[in-house]
Amino acid sequence: MKAMIKVKPDKFKNGDVIKVSLMAMHPMETGSRKDKKTGELVPMNYIKDVKFEYKGAVFTQMSVWETVSTNPVLTTYLKVDGEGDIKITLADDTGKTAEVSKQIKPKG
Amino acid sequence: MKRVYGVVLSLVLASSLMASEQFAMSDADRALYEELLENNPADMIIANGEELLGSLGGEGELAKFLALSEDDLPKYIAGFPRYMKNIGSVVSIDQMLQAFMSTKGEKPYKLTSREMLDMSSYVKSLANGEEINIDIEANEHMKKAFALGKEVFETRRGKRGLSCLNCHNPDVVNTILRTQPLPDISAKGNASAATWPAYRMTMSNMFTLQERFQGCMNNALLAVIPLGSKEMTALEVYFTHEAKGATMAVPGLKR
Amino acid sequence: MLRRDFIKGVGVSAASLALLPSVSFAAPASNALTYDAALKAITGGKEAVASKKMKLKAPEIAENGAVVPVTIEVDSPMSSSDYVKSLHILASKNANSRCLDAFLTPANGKAMLSTRIKLGETQDVVAIAELSNGEFLMATQNIKVTIGGCG
Repeated sequence: MKAMIKVKPDKFKNGDVIKVSLMAMHPMETGSRKDKKTGELVPMNYIKDVKFEYKGAVFTQMSVWETVSTNPVLTTYLKVDGEGDIKITLADDTGKTAEVSKQIKPKG
Repeated sequence: MKRVYGVVLSLVLASSLMASEQFAMSDADRALYEELLENNPADMIIANGEELLGSLGGEGELAKFLALSEDDLPKYIAGFPRYMKNIGSVVSIDQMLQAFMSTKGEKPYKLTSREMLDMSSYVKSLANGEEINIDIEANEHMKKAFALGKEVFETRRGKRGLSCLNCHNPDVVNTILRTQPLPDISAKGNASAATWPAYRMTMSNMFTLQERFQGCMNNALLAVIPLGSKEMTALEVYFTHEAKGATMAVPGLKR
Repeated sequence: MLRRDFIKGVGVSAASLALLPSVSFAAPASNALTYDAALKAITGGKEAVASKKMKLKAPEIAENGAVVPVTIEVDSPMSSSDYVKSLHILASKNANSRCLDAFLTPANGKAMLSTRIKLGETQDVVAIAELSNGEFLMATQNIKVTIGGCG
């Protein structure tokens, strides 16, 4: 599962609230789509849990459903309090997991 | 000429207007979709393309192959399709990359491969911020390619006797066809060539300009022209020249 | 509201644990919940009221049903005594009306959530917020989903 963290803005100070977006490549199959070649239903397969951590503490948790778009983008916010790692862990309903991290460094 | 395509198009439009409700998206709605560009799922495809080029030596090696400095790479990329002497024909970025891979002793990615899609998209994105500077007067090859491309664009063919020009001409810009406004492909309008390759929301995947041409041909019941063929490359030359001067901004995000 | 297994197993600091919802909900029999059932799973039957403090941003006309941008924002200090505990997006006519549930903490600094959802047809998209004082807020927007287009 390929995933990417995007943080906006690029430059920020302590106390600022930044936007944290998780992007992932995932089919997010609902289980109701038919494979064009075989005519069979493609089984349900979607990212269902996402956990956002900052300096080891969870700041947002998400329960994601199969109704979210393919190749999902999930955006939450974080109040900056010092230099540290943002770590996002995701899991889909087949047991596949992924983890991405990004170091953030406030200026001032 | 004007009257002829006007009559054909009005028949096509009349049937589509009767068939579906015509929704007009508000400016506020359009602004919401423009915001999506900030986190375009294609960003991950571009990142993959960067890795693929990296395994071939990255921008440094590519610049060397093109006999350029790395600084000159973006502007040069913004000038494709180009005639390349060492290849002997007018080529798009992906065909250039095939030649690059050959010189590195690698089996070139097929034009239809995932790898080529990702890598050529990344390479085209190096030109972001540059103005499209394709030069159709550069040499006889480019002149011929432009003329051929124009001919392909304007030739009526297929079951409905449609040409690209029927729907992509200044007189019908913004007319709603199948719920979508017809774009102005020129630099002063939508400058379509500057935003392909693009992530298509309805397909959840990235498509190149030539692939989009094929999709369009399918819909208009025209025989599809093969990717990388002389005619398809010529069509890309013509289409890109229409957007000359526009700022490159890839990957795009489209319906 | 089903909280998923993998979250239980991972270490969470004591401070944030206290702020996460401690109530566990019974797992539904099947994955899909109709709108009424999904709403009840979130609010426990309590009324969710419209409020000026809550904004739902989504197109009135969606260009396609595969990628519909949705943003929820609630005006909240996000302090330990007054914050938004969770934000939920529901699509009233989707087979599974649930789209996204986000559980927040004061560390967010801002009660705002964005994603893109799939809509099977023209329908109401509903945003629900649960506040730390137990109140539920709601915002609704009807979204027309267009079919057609040039391929």
